Amino acid sequence: MLSLLSIVLTFLSLIIMPCLFVSWRLRVPLSITNIRRFIKTAASQCNDKEESGTTGEKEKGGRLPKHVAIILDGNRRWAEKRGLGPSQGQEAGARTVMENVKDYFSMGINTVSLFAFSTENWGRPGDEVKYIMDMFEKIVKSEMPNLRRYGVKVSVIGKRTNIPESLLHLIGEAEEATKNNKEKQLIVALDYSGKFDILQACKSLAEKAKNGLINVEDIDENLMDKELMTSCSEFPNPDLLIRTSGEQRISNFYLWQSAYTELYFPSVLWPDFGGAEYFEALDWYQKRQRRFGLRV
Amino acid sequence: MDFNDPMLALSSWIGQIGDFGLDLVWRFIHIVVTLWHIVSGIFESVESYAISLGLIQKYSSIDIEKLKCLAVVVDIEAARDVSKVIELLQWLTTIGVKQVGLFDSQGLLKKSKDMILEMVPRSVLLQETGEKHISPDRIALEFISSSDNKEAVVKAANILLEKYLKSIHPENGVGENVFTESHLNEALRVVGESVHVPDLLLVYGPVRSHLGFPAWRLRYTEIVHMGSLKYMRYGSLLKAIHKFTGVRQNYGV
Repeated sequence: MLSLLSIVLTFLSLIIMPCLFVSWRLRVPLSITNIRRFIKTAASQCNDKEESGTTGEKEKGGRLPKHVAIILDGNRRWAEKRGLGPSQGQEAGARTVMENVKDYFSMGINTVSLFAFSTENWGRPGDEVKYIMDMFEKIVKSEMPNLRRYGVKVSVIGKRTNIPESLLHLIGEAEEATKNNKEKQLIVALDYSGKFDILQACKSLAEKAKNGLINVEDIDENLMDKELMTSCSEFPNPDLLIRTSGEQRISNFYLWQSAYTELYFPSVLWPDFGGAEYFEALDWYQKRQRRFGLRV
Repeated sequence: MDFNDPMLALSSWIGQIGDFGLDLVWRFIHIVVTLWHIVSGIFESVESYAISLGLIQKYSSIDIEKLKCLAVVVDIEAARDVSKVIELLQWLTTIGVKQVGLFDSQGLLKKSKDMILEMVPRSVLLQETGEKHISPDRIALEFISSSDNKEAVVKAANILLEKYLKSIHPENGVGENVFTESHLNEALRVVGESVHVPDLLLVYGPVRSHLGFPAWRLRYTEIVHMGSLKYMRYGSLLKAIHKFTGVRQNYGV
């Protein structure tokens, strides 16, 4: 009996001690989810060491992205899994943004882009679209004081032609109130299409050429870059693009800007994408070897 | 003070033992995770070989009709090993893929185009046959590099710009609206670019990025990272294509 008890206690201590250590190291509450997450991160470290050891020098680890772009996918699936309506999924997604927005800029990240509403999303049922627009208004009103306090510059990019007047007005106010903030920038892509972004850049260059401001033969990639909607940022090209819900495509977001962007596709649905998941993405990014199409 | 010194020494000693113990536990966890990684790697290899041998039923028949156009992005280091690229294309021919776009940022595969077309059985150049006229027993190959991305869009933009400037009415200074997707598609065709959107993009190399694949063509393309080209496996390729055939897109709606 005594020997059985000692075996059980030894076994328990072998399990509990590592858990306590992991919890202490991560400074997060002890839970099965957090332990699993830690193991996945450590395993991905082994995976990436194997992949990056082919040729050439390795870039030093420890760099963080300057610009993180996030495609907020999975709200409706999140609601479906819980037997809720799509609107409740959108609300949960909005809550995730509000709860975590200030953490997105931790560790020196300058720009965060959120793909909140694509041009294709107008094709959704009318009541869902209306709910989403009302929700955006609610978020802008509630989060503006916080964003001002955190020193975040707010920029909204997209077509704006179909956006309700009341929301447009609030967006204008938010952009004006935060325009002098420099250190952090939140870009919200609303009614955004990557193809439209390229086309409007072409049109803008055409107008400048018509008005004699530039010569046609001077038009090159750099001039195109300056006409894209992301030219509002000091770091227009995202270093890291996260798309939640496990879908592995960029769906017309930042087509031009994402040439050398690291693509991260976690399976977690957007409403469940919290601080720990964001940290995991940054940790994954730190271990990448970026070559920008050149030989290292 | 006399009482404090031994206490400080004791707490420092306890701290050091604690740190040492935790360090041992950390290394133990590291060993466990490494072993788990090795086991999962072995499992993946075994699964891949089983798929290659046709032992796993669900991968035996793939609805290849859903995959109309496949693109392969190859890291610049991997692009130097043309034999592996040829082997990959031979696998794709076996699977039944009809159209493949091969991309590397520096255009190394473009330079080896003739050799690749010679070594891959029943392969033809896409530009010569056109997308609509590929025989059922052929595989059409397209060779793409970074010059087909932004540079091509700029050239196409210049064509639209010229068209726009020529169309300006002297009375009102307004030109024709040529800045639409269909106009840019047409302009890209004029500069010799394909506008066909790949359904699936396989990325071979250490980076998880599309490395500058033509942006205009990537809107709804599934992007799958396949790892190193040097260690590519037929089973993994089949698995990726099979997974793609099960994907359902709602295109934002």
